[in-house]
Amino acid sequence: MIEPSYPVTAHDYSSDAEELGSLEDALEEAPRGALVVSGIAVGLLMIGWLGMYFLVFLPRGPVG
Amino acid sequence: MATAARPATTAAPRETDLAGLQTSRLVQSHIWIAIAAFAVACLLGVWQMWARSPIQAPYHTAANYFRSVTLHGVSMAFVLTTFFIMGFGYYVAETALKRPLPGIGFAWVAFWMGIAGTLMAALSVISGNASVLFTFYPPLTATPWFYVGLVLVVVASWIWCILMIIAMRSWRRANDGRPVPLAMFATTANAVMWLWTTVGVAAELLFQVIPAAFGWNQTVDVGLSRTLFSWTLHAIVYFWLFPSYSAFYTMFPRAAGGRLYSDTMGRLAFILFLLYSLPVGLHHLFMDPEHSNGFKFLQMFLTALVSVPTLLTVFTITASAEIAGRMRGGKGLFGWIGALPWERPMVLATGLAFVMLFWGGGGGLINMSYGMNAMIHNTSWVTAHFHLIFGGTVVIMYQAICYSIWPSLTGRDFPSLKPLLVQLWLWFIGMMVMTLPWHWLGLEGQWRRVAAFDYSNPIIHGWGPWVIVSLVGGIILALSAFLFLYNLASLHWRGVLGAPAEIEYARAVHEPERVPSSLNGFGLWNIIVALLMLLAYGWPIAQFFVYPPPQAMVHRLG
Amino acid sequence: MAINEDAILKSELRWAIVVGGIVAVILIAILYAALAMHINPPSNREYVDPKTLHLSAEFTEANLGTRVDPNGQVVARLIATQFEFVPNCIVLPARTPVTMRITSPDVIHGLLVSGTNVNTMVIPGYVAQVHTTFTKTGDLLMPCHEFCGLGHSQMMATVRVVPPAAFHPGPGGRIACGNRG
Repeated sequence: MIEPSYPVTAHDYSSDAEELGSLEDALEEAPRGALVVSGIAVGLLMIGWLGMYFLVFLPRGPVG
Repeated sequence: MATAARPATTAAPRETDLAGLQTSRLVQSHIWIAIAAFAVACLLGVWQMWARSPIQAPYHTAANYFRSVTLHGVSMAFVLTTFFIMGFGYYVAETALKRPLPGIGFAWVAFWMGIAGTLMAALSVISGNASVLFTFYPPLTATPWFYVGLVLVVVASWIWCILMIIAMRSWRRANDGRPVPLAMFATTANAVMWLWTTVGVAAELLFQVIPAAFGWNQTVDVGLSRTLFSWTLHAIVYFWLFPSYSAFYTMFPRAAGGRLYSDTMGRLAFILFLLYSLPVGLHHLFMDPEHSNGFKFLQMFLTALVSVPTLLTVFTITASAEIAGRMRGGKGLFGWIGALPWERPMVLATGLAFVMLFWGGGGGLINMSYGMNAMIHNTSWVTAHFHLIFGGTVVIMYQAICYSIWPSLTGRDFPSLKPLLVQLWLWFIGMMVMTLPWHWLGLEGQWRRVAAFDYSNPIIHGWGPWVIVSLVGGIILALSAFLFLYNLASLHWRGVLGAPAEIEYARAVHEPERVPSSLNGFGLWNIIVALLMLLAYGWPIAQFFVYPPPQAMVHRLG
Repeated sequence: MAINEDAILKSELRWAIVVGGIVAVILIAILYAALAMHINPPSNREYVDPKTLHLSAEFTEANLGTRVDPNGQVVARLIATQFEFVPNCIVLPARTPVTMRITSPDVIHGLLVSGTNVNTMVIPGYVAQVHTTFTKTGDLLMPCHEFCGLGHSQMMATVRVVPPAAFHPGPGGRIACGNRG
C-alpha cells in the first residue's frame, strides 16, 4: 500500500486502498447480487438469440 | 470533489525529485503514437459516414472513400492497437513485477521499426496505390511497400512478445514458486497468443501476397490466402481485448475500493482465451465455398467455447463490484450498484464497457451461429458488431487505462476528474447511437464497404434517416476522441505535481501464496494450442496442397 | 456465502454450469437446424478455372440466367465480375426450391438477396452454390457485398421473385426479366 508524503485526494483512484467497510461482511452476502445481475444479463442474451432465430432467421426461408 | 490543501511546508515534491519509471518515455511514446493514429482515424470515420449518407460530402469520390477506409482500418486495427498494447505491456512489466524492464534497448529498436512500418504503409495508402482495406484480400494487390510496412509493424510486435516472455521468466527465476502477478500473467499470455496469431497473416504475406505484389507470381490461391488470414483475424481481436480484460481484473476492483473476487478465475480466463481464440477463424469464412460444413461446424463449436471466458469474466467482475459496493455500505440485492464510486473513471468505464459488451457480445452470438450467419454476413450488422465490441468495450477501457497510468508516468495528477467522465460518457453514447441503427440496417440488407448509396432506389431511400442517425453518433465519438486527447495532453501543463511513479494493482479476496505451475506459465497450454490448431486448421489448410484449386489472376491496383 | 476460497471457486463452478447450459441450448438449436431442417452455410467445394470460364459449357453467356434444368430443378447461373452481375436481373419462382450458381473470373465478390437468407462469397476458382426457397414475392436487391475494387458500390442486381403461377419458362426452360410469361 502506498503512503505518499502529501495528502491523498479523491484523484488517486488508481492507488486506492481504502477498503472502507468490512470485507468479511461483504463476503457474507456476495455473490448473490452478482448471480442475479449476471443471470439476468445472460438470460436476456439467450432470449434475444432465440427471438432472432425463430422470428427473423427461420421465416426468411431455408438455405443450404 | 474538493482538492485537499497542499502542505504549507517546502516538502511538496518537485518534478525532478520523484524517481520516475524506467519505462516512462518508452510507454508514453508508444501510447502517443497510438492516440495520434486513433484521432486521425476517427476523423476519417466521420467523413466516411458523411459520404455514405444522403447529405453531400466534400471530396467524395470512390478513390478517396476506399483510400480513407483503408487508412481508417489500418490505423484502428493495426496501429492504435499494436502500439497501445506494446506500451501498456512495458508499463505492466515494470510496475507489476516491480523491477526494470530487461532489454529496454531492444524495446526502442522495436518502437522505431514500428514507426518505419507505419509510415511506409500509411504513405502507400495515401498515394492511392494500396486501397485494399485492412483485410487486403488477394487477388486485389497493392504496392508491395504497403505490405512490407505491415510486416515491419508485426516484426516489431514480435520483439515486444519476446521481451514480455523474458521479463516474466526472469521474475519467476528470482521469485521461485511465487505466483506471477496477475497483470503480468495476462500480458504474457497475450504475448504468447500474439506469436501464434501472427503465423497466419505472416505466411499469407511472405509466401503469397508480397511475391504477387513484387510481380514474382501472376496467380494466387485465394482460398488459401483467405484461410491463412482467418487464422489471424479472429485471434487478433483477443490480442486487442487482453489489456481491457486485464484492467477489469487488476485495476477495476482497486478503483472501486474493493477486491478481485477470484485470482484463480482471472488466470483461467486468460488461459481459455489463449486456447480458444485461435482455432475459430473459420467462422469468418462461413459463407465461403472453399471449406466443408464439417470444419465450419467444428470451428463454430470451438467459437462457442471462446464465449465461455467472457461469460465467466462477467460474473467474476460483477462479483468483485458487489464486494466493493457492499464494503461501501450498499445493501440488498442491488444496493451495491449505486454504492460504487462511479465518479472514478476506471469504475465508470468498466460499467459502460459491460453495457456495450452485452450488445456487442449478443451480436457476436448471432454471427457465430453457423447457418444463421447467412442472415448478416457482410452487412452493416457486422460493422455494428465490431465497432461496438472493439471500438466500444475494448477502446473505452484503453481510455480508462490511460487515465489510470498517466499520473505515474508524468508525475502529475488530474486537477479534476469531470472532463474524464464527460469524455467516457460521450464515447459510450456516441458508440451506441452510431452502432444500433447499423444493426437494423444490416438486417434490412444494407451491405458493407460502399462508397456511395443510390438513394433514388426506394429500398435504399428508406435507410437514409438511419444512416444520418449513425453519422450523428460518429460525430459524438470524434468529439469524445479529441476530448480524450486533450485530457491526457493537458495533464502535462495543468496537472498537479506529486503523483507517485507507481500503481497499485487490485488484490484478490484470497491472495494466493502459491498457484499450480499450469496457472503460472504456458508450457502445457502451448502444447494444447498446437493440438487444437492441428485439429481445426490442419486439413482446412492442407487441402489446398493436396487438392490444389485453380488460382486467381493477380489484380494490381496501380 | 462466499467466505473462503473454496466457496468462491464453487460459486464460479455453479456459474460455469449455467453458462454451459446456455451455450448448449444454442448449439442444440443450431444442430437441429442443420440436421433436421438442412440449414447449412454454402459449402459447395466445386472447382472451376476462372481463366477459362468463357470456354466452359456451364458459364458461357448463353447459359447464364434462370433455366429449368432437364431434371426439373430451377437453376439461376450468374457471373460476378468487376463491376456487375451477368445477367443483372433474374426471375425466380416463389415457394419453389431453387438453386443459384455463381462464379467469378477475376476477384473476390459476394452477394446477398435482401430480406432472405441467401448469402454467399464468390471466390474465383470455385462455383458458389446456394439452395433456397423464397417465401415472398417482389423485386429484391442483390448487391455485391465484398469489396472488389473502386466500382464495388455500383455492383448490384435484381432478383424478381414471382408467384409460381406467373413463372413461365420458354422453350429450353429459360426465363429472363424481359419476358414475364
